[in-house]
Amino acid sequence: MKGKKRRVITIHSSRGGTGKTVIATNLAAIYANKGLNVVLLDLDFRAPSLVAVFSKTIKGPIKHWLGDFLDGRCKAKQALIDVSEGYNFRGKLLVGFANPSIDAIRNLVEKSRAWEVTAVKKLFSLRSTLFNEMGIDCCIFDTSPGVQYTSVNAVVSSDISVIVTTYDSLDMKGVENMLVELYDAFAKKTVVLVNKVFPETRMWSNREQKQLISRMEKVLRHPVIGVIPCFCDVLQAKRTSLLAVEKPNHPFVRNLEEVAEKLEVGVETNLEEKVVGK
Amino acid sequence: MATKAKSAISGTEQLLSRIVDGLNHVNKKLDSIIQLNKNILSMQKRLLRKYSIQGPSVTELKIEPDALSLLSLPASLRKTVMVLYKLEKATAEGLAKETGRLRAVESAAANQLVRLGYLKKKREGREVYFYIESPMEIEK
Repeated sequence: MKGKKRRVITIHSSRGGTGKTVIATNLAAIYANKGLNVVLLDLDFRAPSLVAVFSKTIKGPIKHWLGDFLDGRCKAKQALIDVSEGYNFRGKLLVGFANPSIDAIRNLVEKSRAWEVTAVKKLFSLRSTLFNEMGIDCCIFDTSPGVQYTSVNAVVSSDISVIVTTYDSLDMKGVENMLVELYDAFAKKTVVLVNKVFPETRMWSNREQKQLISRMEKVLRHPVIGVIPCFCDVLQAKRTSLLAVEKPNHPFVRNLEEVAEKLEVGVETNLEEKVVGK
Repeated sequence: MATKAKSAISGTEQLLSRIVDGLNHVNKKLDSIIQLNKNILSMQKRLLRKYSIQGPSVTELKIEPDALSLLSLPASLRKTVMVLYKLEKATAEGLAKETGRLRAVESAAANQLVRLGYLKKKREGREVYFYIESPMEIEK
């Protein structure tokens, strides 16, 4: 996104298990590998997972969590940990971790509505810190599934949201409802990414893929930015492995690179015209 | 012929007389409605006087404008609050610059949000600023 508009991307889903975190972490790695300075924030306070994903690269105990920043106990810079060294990225990757301890989860879940107002304002203030003071090119929010305060705050304060869904009918119905009742209500730029569509063994032509995207766009009335097949080795891989780093030629990574490119370039051209609220 | 004409005139007079009676009746009803209205208005004034001293004032209303509660607001008002998440405080002019709407539209929307308890407003010199009251200081 150097030379292009810097943006905050929210990765969201209607239900759990769609592959949101795998998408968010690998998308961040793809951008960092391209030489961009990226910030990845774990806004899934109910089920934090980024600590586990980056456990090998975190040096020493984490002093400040993302919750501490939202609580006003530390500055944004203090809650961001540079993990790029461990991966030899061309750019930087800074991660804001959510505290996985039960006490911290309970504490954040019990927050008042007044606190949520401050939290959303902090997320807005964060973007000027990242983009104007820290030279960050792209910020990715990994959110909790469904309609919860943290995920809605993320959607409201981001530039574009990527809703990750499987081809499951319940998932699709949930996405349909969320698009109408949440995203359209906030007039937010939103795209849909379909993950785990078919088994990897089922080969499909470009024509088939385009037909599927066209069918889904008709139903969802929002752009479908990509369709990623279901890869057994991705499902079986350790959560600590970043495929974009370890297997950059894996078809999953290739698919995601196309998505990253569209988010970087396409959203600002033909895709943008199709985005509701624009 | 003369008899027929006389009877037609008499019929018309009777009809007119019934219309006049009917109008008088409607008039009386309207008078009583007006009186009732006056009574209601004076009762409202008494109640307002009573509660402006003893009870909470309407201007003290405060609703937390969290992102989820914005969904229950009309889209035009929601947009104004979302701009204030970002700007901290803004004049109607500043809001208009962000939303691309007219200053007068933003002024009306922001003042309505103040009346509803979602926003606060304060005067600084010649400018009136709208803002979201926050219990915590924003630290970058």
